[in-house]
Amino acid sequence: MPEAPAATETPSRPEVPASGRRARKVARAEARKTSAWLPRWFWPSFTFPGLLWLLVMFILPFYAVVSVAFGSIDRFRNPLPVWQPWYWTTKYTGEVFQKFFGENAYLQPTFIRTLIYVGIASSILLVAGYAVAYYVARHAGKRKTLILVLLISPFWISYLMRMLAWVNLLESDGYVNRTLQLLHVTDQPIAWLQGKPITVILGLVYGYMPYMILPLFGFLDRIQPSLLEAGRDLGGSPTSTFVRVTLPLSKPAILAGLVIVSLPMFGDYYTQNLLSASPKTNMYGNLIDEAVGASGQGPQGAVLVLILMVMLLVPMMYYLRSTLRAQEGR
Amino acid sequence: MSDLAAPGSRLSAGSATRRGPSWWRDPWRKPRILASITWLYIAWSILPILIAIALSFNAGRSNTTFQTFGLRWWINDPADGGALLQDPVIRRAILQTYILSFTTMITAVPLGVLFAIGIDRWRGRPADGANFLMLLTFVMPEIIIGVAMLTVIQHLLSKIGVHLGTGAQLLGLITYQISYPVIIVRARLLSIGREYEEAGMDLGASPRQAVRSVLLPLLYPAILASLAIVFADTVDDFVTVRYLSGPASSQPLSLYVYTNTRAAATPAVNAAATFMMISTTLVIVLGYLAYKRFARGQEGADMQNFTQL
Amino acid sequence: MKRHPREGAKAAREGLERQLGRPVSRRDFLRYGAGAAVSVPALSAILAACGSNPRTTETAAFEVATRENPVRLPVIGEPIADNLEPEKGATLQLYNWDAYIWQHVIKDFCAEYDCDYEITTFNNMEEAVGKIQTGQLEFDVWFPTYDQLGKFVEGGFIMPLNHSYIPNLEANAWDVFQNPFYDQEWQYSVPYTVYTTGIAYRRDRIGDDEVSGAENPRALLWDSAYADKVGVYDSYRDTLGFALQKLGINDLNTEDAAQITQAKDALIELIDAVNVRATINGAYAKLPKGEYTLHESWSGDIVAGWGYTPKYTQSDYETLGYWSDPDVTKRPADNDLIVVGGNAKSPVLAHLFLNWMLDFQHAMDNFSWNGYQPPQKQADPDSLTSMQGLYSKISGSWAAPITYVPEWMSTAVVREDDLAQGLRVHELSPDGDQRWNDAWQEFKAGA
Repeated sequence: MPEAPAATETPSRPEVPASGRRARKVARAEARKTSAWLPRWFWPSFTFPGLLWLLVMFILPFYAVVSVAFGSIDRFRNPLPVWQPWYWTTKYTGEVFQKFFGENAYLQPTFIRTLIYVGIASSILLVAGYAVAYYVARHAGKRKTLILVLLISPFWISYLMRMLAWVNLLESDGYVNRTLQLLHVTDQPIAWLQGKPITVILGLVYGYMPYMILPLFGFLDRIQPSLLEAGRDLGGSPTSTFVRVTLPLSKPAILAGLVIVSLPMFGDYYTQNLLSASPKTNMYGNLIDEAVGASGQGPQGAVLVLILMVMLLVPMMYYLRSTLRAQEGR
Repeated sequence: MSDLAAPGSRLSAGSATRRGPSWWRDPWRKPRILASITWLYIAWSILPILIAIALSFNAGRSNTTFQTFGLRWWINDPADGGALLQDPVIRRAILQTYILSFTTMITAVPLGVLFAIGIDRWRGRPADGANFLMLLTFVMPEIIIGVAMLTVIQHLLSKIGVHLGTGAQLLGLITYQISYPVIIVRARLLSIGREYEEAGMDLGASPRQAVRSVLLPLLYPAILASLAIVFADTVDDFVTVRYLSGPASSQPLSLYVYTNTRAAATPAVNAAATFMMISTTLVIVLGYLAYKRFARGQEGADMQNFTQL
Repeated sequence: MKRHPREGAKAAREGLERQLGRPVSRRDFLRYGAGAAVSVPALSAILAACGSNPRTTETAAFEVATRENPVRLPVIGEPIADNLEPEKGATLQLYNWDAYIWQHVIKDFCAEYDCDYEITTFNNMEEAVGKIQTGQLEFDVWFPTYDQLGKFVEGGFIMPLNHSYIPNLEANAWDVFQNPFYDQEWQYSVPYTVYTTGIAYRRDRIGDDEVSGAENPRALLWDSAYADKVGVYDSYRDTLGFALQKLGINDLNTEDAAQITQAKDALIELIDAVNVRATINGAYAKLPKGEYTLHESWSGDIVAGWGYTPKYTQSDYETLGYWSDPDVTKRPADNDLIVVGGNAKSPVLAHLFLNWMLDFQHAMDNFSWNGYQPPQKQADPDSLTSMQGLYSKISGSWAAPITYVPEWMSTAVVREDDLAQGLRVHELSPDGDQRWNDAWQEFKAGA
């Protein structure tokens, strides 16, 4: 039986060449014979406008921040950027590190506090968000559409409206205190908006919950029921099916949800400002916000911004690598 | 079913003995705990907002207790002139909100859609880099983008005539919003696949024509969703806008609500926030209706898929 | 030797010509100023700057103006000519603190001179300076504090005044402002309001006698009996100064590291003792609502507090009280200024506006709304507790009447003596400012 000849028999689409310029030339020639050949720059060219924008609007400001961080202050005590790297000074970087690690490191408690708040808020978000997403994805049945609408409405009911609503409710003469007093839980109104960590943490949870629920829901909705039924058929109870099948499967969605929720939370300063405004609940974002406005503290603010960026790059890269790997699998 | 689940019966699904009331032992029980958690969450999520909206219709001055119904804070406040449609500051803010949202929407979405199409097909290291840059702007805390843009505008761009104000706010907003359409369109692209385009090209279309007449129409649902979401997100944005604001006319409603929530708040703030919400709800509803129309006949043209985007 | 204002302008102009290498128009001059090397926008200047280390362009510290050392500012920029017509159909641009001027008064001005107006607000001076420095926000009129006036002048942010448009200052303003120490011969500024700093408190929760009879009334804010109900200003100079005075250090401009550390520690104590919050509107907006019992306050804030009480009744008003140091040499007293912007588009209107605000009736109308007393000769301080202001009159339909300063708050009345002998806040040296800022940051970062 004659063997099928080599690659010179026209394939219906261009093949990725094995190696070598010759192979590539051959492949290109083949591709040109069909109408499916596209220049290598065709698809990338689509990204160019957006990419150019991001490069300019991201890299340039980033460089400006670096220039301020390693720069100096002008006579109005406003930041003076130093554009030439050879004139950079590490004076302000040193000062900030001193405030984090040196003697009397008074920025350290703020940093630790931010970690704690983000950690607790993210955990609550994960558990509660998963529960809700799971229910809606798997058990909602007829009411699914209605519940979905109610769940995604916070997306367009702005964050500010939601915080405003809680500020109104938590004032000393607001409805929360009134209800508590009516139920005789407390006598005096509780000052919820006065530097209470619980208010800030719950505020963070309330604000970021839609961002956690949606990715989880999107994923859980797409799990093939056959996988779960298989788990059951093999003798698992609902709980163990959940633990052994659903949970491991949803790892990428959990990771995505956590990243989308916790990374922005590190830079959150407004939740604290709206719900507490007390030094007791100051977060890392507040340090930046205050430094940017204070006289003579511009470079320090820029250093704080750089530290935050570097800190967030690590989990970001990890998340990116796992999503890329997941996408390649498709 | 229930006798299969009787304790001690070897035929019971799951572990040998299951304790608890009968409804707990039923393996096909309705998930009451999860259901109650979900409904509690929904109540906790929606109720405060309803109360806040109600308070905006308060005829008195309190924003914590509802006194009597009145449109004082919406139409005409005789005492202080602070009503939504009366106070010139708020009216200007409404205008600014719309200017920012529409401009951002029509700039960021095309950039993002093109970016998504390109990134989907482009392979290799530079593509990963571009993808990473885009995702970075998505998860980056907004304060970083705000402060960085403030720095670059105050110290660099002001020398070539770009100053704090509406222009600067737009630059910052578009940068922050490009990632939304990219993610949405990309998700859609993954489920479309290449067959349609290649069919088009087999029928004689050039690659560019194939993209324009085959791919883009298929993407209309995603594009509409992006338009709606970018609009909603920009109406709500106050971090970037606050850092990049210049003269009074560049203060949008979101900034007005933010600065006044803790200040001497009157229900006018509630009214402003409700107004923001109405605007975005209208746009979302329009987007959804258009989505349904364009996705007619396509698989998955319902609410579920809209949200999955 | 008395120099004519224009002589100084000529010298400054020549300096600028040399610097830019070309003849300068008046517009250039107003925009660049003689010393604003930092804000030259030309590309060639940028390229030139690339070669040099920007840090070396920082000039030496400015002379700090105090009562003992009055300063005559150099004339930079050219005042407008005499007898000019006001600009027609212009939009007057104002840059002011939030809620610090009654729009009613501005509307009257605009009705008289046929113009429009726009107010931009700032929350603190750093923000204001940061935005003005970029050079492109063209404000006609703005309201700075006096401590950094020298720097603002050199930066070209303020236009020298032509006194012929502002006869009301000599006619109406207090003597102490005819030749203020921070701006001798008032070349650049006119006074806007005067105020003292003290404590605002709820008279229904803590009696007048308790406050004034206490050995150290400021220490009351540290008393945990008032936990959760104590507030201070979100302003480093004011609040650290308050803490210094509580400790008995009556120098609001100290640069001594030990004293600053003591003040900082006292503030940090506040966090644990009373769960203090730093606000900008706690005194006038929240204390009347009951959210605070004690709040560090400027006199004007609490005087305006009646407008934020829940029911606007006489009994509501009587819950508000103000304490200020009985010893006038320990009483912080300050004033704010109105100036014309360096690159004002409508300078003639701006001058007329300054004159308008110095007019007795308009100043008092503004006072009735924002609570901050204007330094008007015709306003007898003792009569302020018995005269009703315009805002109170037109609020008759929803609020009980109230005098300019409530009777039981007579300590909030500011007298010329306070400014002549009270404590003033001056600019600090860069190192001193750094110490204050670090101390403040430590307090704000929480313990």
